[in-house]
Amino acid sequence: MKKLTPYLLVSPYLLHFAVFVAFPVVFSVILTFHDWNIIAPMQYVGGANYARVVQDRLFWQAIGNTLRFLVVHIPLQIGVALLLAELLNRTVRGAAFFRAAFFLPVIVSGVVVTILWQQLLGFNSGLLNRLLVGVGLPRVAWLDDAGVAMYSIAVMATWKNVGLYVILFLVGLQSVPVAYYEAADMEGATAWQKFRYITLPIINPTLFTVVVLSTIGGFSLFIEPYIMTEGGPMNSTLSAVMYIYKQAFQYYNMGYSATLGVCFALIILLVVVLQRRFIEQEV
Amino acid sequence: MKAPSCFRRGLGVVFFLLTSCRPNPDPVGGQTRELVFWCSNNGGEITFAREMTANWQRTRPDKPLRYQPIPEGQSSEEIILASVVGKTTPDIYANMWEGSVEMYAKAGVLVPLDTIPGFRAFITARCDSAVLREITSADGHIYQVPWKVNPIMTLCNTQMVSPETPTGPPYTYNRYLRAGAQVLRDGDGDGYVDRWLGYTAVRAIWYERLFNFYPLYLAASDGAPLIVTGSTGKQRAAFNNHYAVGVFRFLQELYRRHYFARERLTATRDPFLAQRIATQFTGPWTVEFLEKFGEGKLAYSFYPMPVPDAHRGPVYTYGNPKQIVIFNTCRDPTAAWQFIKSMIDQPGDLRLLELTGQFPRRRAVDTDPFFAPFLQRNPRLLPFARQSQYVKGIDNCDKMVEVLDIISQEYEACVVFNKKTPEAAIADAADAVNVLLGN
Repeated sequence: MKKLTPYLLVSPYLLHFAVFVAFPVVFSVILTFHDWNIIAPMQYVGGANYARVVQDRLFWQAIGNTLRFLVVHIPLQIGVALLLAELLNRTVRGAAFFRAAFFLPVIVSGVVVTILWQQLLGFNSGLLNRLLVGVGLPRVAWLDDAGVAMYSIAVMATWKNVGLYVILFLVGLQSVPVAYYEAADMEGATAWQKFRYITLPIINPTLFTVVVLSTIGGFSLFIEPYIMTEGGPMNSTLSAVMYIYKQAFQYYNMGYSATLGVCFALIILLVVVLQRRFIEQEV
Repeated sequence: MKAPSCFRRGLGVVFFLLTSCRPNPDPVGGQTRELVFWCSNNGGEITFAREMTANWQRTRPDKPLRYQPIPEGQSSEEIILASVVGKTTPDIYANMWEGSVEMYAKAGVLVPLDTIPGFRAFITARCDSAVLREITSADGHIYQVPWKVNPIMTLCNTQMVSPETPTGPPYTYNRYLRAGAQVLRDGDGDGYVDRWLGYTAVRAIWYERLFNFYPLYLAASDGAPLIVTGSTGKQRAAFNNHYAVGVFRFLQELYRRHYFARERLTATRDPFLAQRIATQFTGPWTVEFLEKFGEGKLAYSFYPMPVPDAHRGPVYTYGNPKQIVIFNTCRDPTAAWQFIKSMIDQPGDLRLLELTGQFPRRRAVDTDPFFAPFLQRNPRLLPFARQSQYVKGIDNCDKMVEVLDIISQEYEACVVFNKKTPEAAIADAADAVNVLLGN
C-alpha cells in the first residue's frame, strides 16, 4: 500500500494533465496529418496540411497582422505601465484609488470593454469622432480603415490590460533599495541614469515577465478583432488565432486548423526565445 | 487496507454515474419510443411546432412525438453540429440551412428521404422540377424537405424614391444609381453624407453575401448557379461570368459614389426607420418590424432586386430556404415523414404563414385560392408571395461556407474598398474556389 500512496496522491493532477494537456497536444499533432470535419471519419493526408500552410497567404497575413499588433501593443503597454507604476510608487494622494482605477478594466469582461470601445470609435456617431469634428478636425475611420484599425485595437487592448502590468512593475519598483538611489544622488546621477543603471537592472526579471506575458497575450489576440471588426477591413485585423478559429469552427477543417495551431505555437516559441536573449543581453 | 476499499467504492460511484448518463434504453412492453422534433427557437415557430405536435398526437396517439426548440447557442448550425458529433440528434429538425445539408449527407447522418414510400410523389406535387433538382444531392438522393422561404427583395421608402415606372418595377442598375443621386444628402453640412440610397452589410463574412451579392447575381443571371458539378462528379466555380462582374461593378459604383454607406449604420437606430437610407435588401421578416416600430408614418413597399438594364423576364432572388431533415438516429423514419407531411400540407403551410409570415416553398402560393384570404388580409406580404415563385436556394456543395467566404474577401476588396477591378476580383475568387474544390 505504501508504494501505491504516492501514485494515488499525484493521480488527480496526472489525470487532469493527461486529459486536458497531454491528450489535446498529442491529438492535435496527430490531426495535422489528417483531413477531418468532425462528423466524417478522419482521412490520412500525410504532410499536405503543412504544404498548405506554406502557401496560405491569409495565414501569413494573419501572422503579419498579429506581429503588427505586438509591435505597437507591447512597447505601448510596457511604457505606459512603467510610467504609471513610477508615478504610483511616489507618495501621491489617493494612490489606492488610482491603483484600483487602473486595475478595473482588467477585471471587466473583454466583450464588454470591446463593445464599449466599438461605440467610442464609431465613424458616424462615435464619441472620439464627435470630439474631433467639434474641434474642426476630420473624422477618422478608426475601425473601417485597413491602415488604422489594428492600431486602434492595439490601443484598446493596452487600456484593457495595462493595470495588471502596473501592479507587476509596482512590485518590482518597490523592491529597489532606496540606498542605491541615495548613493547615486551623492554621485550626482541624473534621473535617467538612475533609471537606466539602477531601476532597470533590478526590475529586469519583472520586465522580462511583463514582456513575455504581453507577447503571449498579444499572440492570443481574438476577442477584440472578433467583436470589433471581425477581422476586417480587408483582413487587416485578422489575427492568427482568429484565422485558426475560422478554419476549425466555421469551415470545420480540423486537421488544417490543428496544423496552423502547431505552426503558430512554434512561431511563438521562437519569438519568446529571441526576446529572452535580447532582454538578457540588453539589460 | 482502507484506501483500496475507498478507491474501489470511488470507482463504483464513477461507474454508476457513467452508466446512468447513457441515453434512454429502448422502451419495452409495447411502448413506442417517442419521436423528437427540434424547431427553431423564435416565438412564432415554437407556437407552430406546438400546434403541429398537438394535431399529430390527436390523430396518431400510437406514435408519440415531442417538440423542443433547438437549444440556445451562437448559431443553430453549431448546435446541430454538436448534436451530430455527440450523437444526440433529434429525429426531425426543421430549420436546416440548405448549404449545410450536403455536408451532413456526405457524412451519412441524414436519412435519404426518397427511399421512404410516398415521398417522391408528395414532393413532386408540392414543388416544381427546378426545386427538386436543387435539393437533389450529388449521390442522387434527396435528404431535405423544402419547407419555407424568405425571399430577399428591395425595400423602398416610397416617399424618398420612386421605384415604379410606366412599365412597372424592377429597378434597373442605371435607374437605381440615378435614384442615389436624388437621395444623397449632407443634412447638417459637416461635409459628410448622412442620408444614403441604401445600406447593406460590408463585413467580409460569408452569410452577408447571401443578402447582397447573391440575390443580385441570381436576379441578373435568371438563377444561375455559383458551383456546378462536372460529368466526372468534380465541382467547380461557375460564377466567373459577366453577370457576377456586372453585380460587382454595380455595387462598387454604389460605394464609390457614396450612395451606400461604407461605415456601419447598425450601431444606432434602424437607419431605414430613421429615414437615413431609402432602400434596403431584406426579407419578409422586416414587415412585422416596420409595422411595429414605423408608427404608421412610413410609406414603403417591396420590389424585386435591381437588374442589369437589358434584363427581361421574371426576376429571381435568393429565397433563404430552410429545410426539414430526418437524422439517421431516427428509429422510425416513416412515422417521422408522416409527421412532416402533416406539417407541410396546405393547412400547415397556411398556419406557418399566419404565425411567422414566412412562405412555404410550394407551387403558386400567390395564386392558390387557399392562401388568397390570408394575402388579402396582409397585402404587405403579397410581393413576397409573388417573388416566392422565383427563388433559388444555394448550390449543393459541402464547402459552400468557404466558397462564400472567398467571394466575400474579393467583394470587400473590390466593391467596398475599390482596390480591384470587378473582372480581377471575380476571376481571383473563381480561381480560389477552384483550388478549394481540388481543381
